[in-house]
Amino acid sequence: MEEKLFTIGQAAEYLGVSLNTLRRWDESGKLVAIKKDGGTHRYYREKDLEIFASNLMKFATEWIEDGVEFPGTFYCATSSIFNARLTKLEYALMQRPEFKKLYSLITLITGEIGDNSFAHNIGKWPDTAGIFFGYDLEKRVVVLADRGVGILETLRRVRPELPSHVAAVEVAFTEFISGRAPEKRGNGLKLVREVVIDHPFNLFYTSGDAEVRMKGSNKVFRVTRGERLVRGCLAKIEF
Amino acid sequence: MKLQLEKFGKTLISRELGSEAFKAFQPTLRELPRDEELEIDFSGVLTLSPSWADEFLSPLLNQLGDKLLLLSSDNLSVQATLRILEEVNKRPMRIKS
Repeated sequence: MEEKLFTIGQAAEYLGVSLNTLRRWDESGKLVAIKKDGGTHRYYREKDLEIFASNLMKFATEWIEDGVEFPGTFYCATSSIFNARLTKLEYALMQRPEFKKLYSLITLITGEIGDNSFAHNIGKWPDTAGIFFGYDLEKRVVVLADRGVGILETLRRVRPELPSHVAAVEVAFTEFISGRAPEKRGNGLKLVREVVIDHPFNLFYTSGDAEVRMKGSNKVFRVTRGERLVRGCLAKIEF
Repeated sequence: MKLQLEKFGKTLISRELGSEAFKAFQPTLRELPRDEELEIDFSGVLTLSPSWADEFLSPLLNQLGDKLLLLSSDNLSVQATLRILEEVNKRPMRIKS
C-alpha cells in the first residue's frame, strides 16, 4: 500500500512552522522533502516528520546556543500557553498506568523549571521571550529551555559577589534565595533537587557553563563546569 | 470554614496564579470568625507546586497561624510541597490526617 504523503501545507501545520521555513529546511538539507516524478511540489512522509520532531534535545540546544528555529509546536510564548500545555502533559501522563503514581511529581518539576524561566525573565528577555517545552512519553523525557538571562545574572541582582555560573546554579538548587528579592521566592529548584533524588527521575540542567547531572540509582547533587556556554537555561528530565 | 483548593484549579503551578488566587480569596477570608479554623482540602488537586503554594498557603499561614489546618493528602506533589513550605517558612504546619 502506498504511504500517505503530507503536502507542504499539512507538514507545516503538523510541525507548527511556516511554508517558507519548510522550503528553507529542504534547501539546506535539514528536512528534505520528496518531489514526485521530478515535479516541484514538496511532500513529506508522516514517519519522517515524526522522527524529525522527536529530537527534542537537538532543537532545544540549537535554539539556545545559536537561535536556530524549531517546530512551533514546542514554543510557549507566554506563561499561560506553558500552563495550558503542562495541563495537557499532566492529563496524558494520568492516562498511562505506568505514570499513575508519579504523574504529579513529573508535572511539578516540569512546572517549576518552566515557571522559573518566565518568573525570572519577565521584562528582561534579551531577544526571544518564552520557552521551548517538548515531551515524549514513549521516550519518557521532558525538555525545557529558554533564551533568558540565565541563573548567574538573575541571582547577581541579590548576590553581586557570586563568582561563576557554577556557584550561581549551586545556590539556586540549594538555598532559599531569589533573584526577585525582597519578594519571597526561590524554593522551586530546591524541591526539584529533592524530588529527583528521592524518585526514579534523572535530571540534566545547564545554565551558562554550569551543569547538573543527576542520574542513576545513587544520585548526588553536584554542579560542574561544562565545556559549552549556553544562553538562558536548558533542562532535560527523564522519568 | 473549609476551602476546597480545587476551586482554584486542579493544576496549581505558577506563582502568578497562586498570587491571584490569594487575592481572590481575601473577601471570603474576611468572613472567617476570629476563633474559627480554616481547613484546606486538597482533594481533587492533581498537582500542587511550591511556587503556587508559596503565594497562597505561606501568606495564609502568616495571617492565620495555628488556625490554618491542612487536611492530609495522598497526592505526592502535595506532600512534597507542604514539606518544603515548612522549611521555607521555618515553622511546621498543622496537618490533619
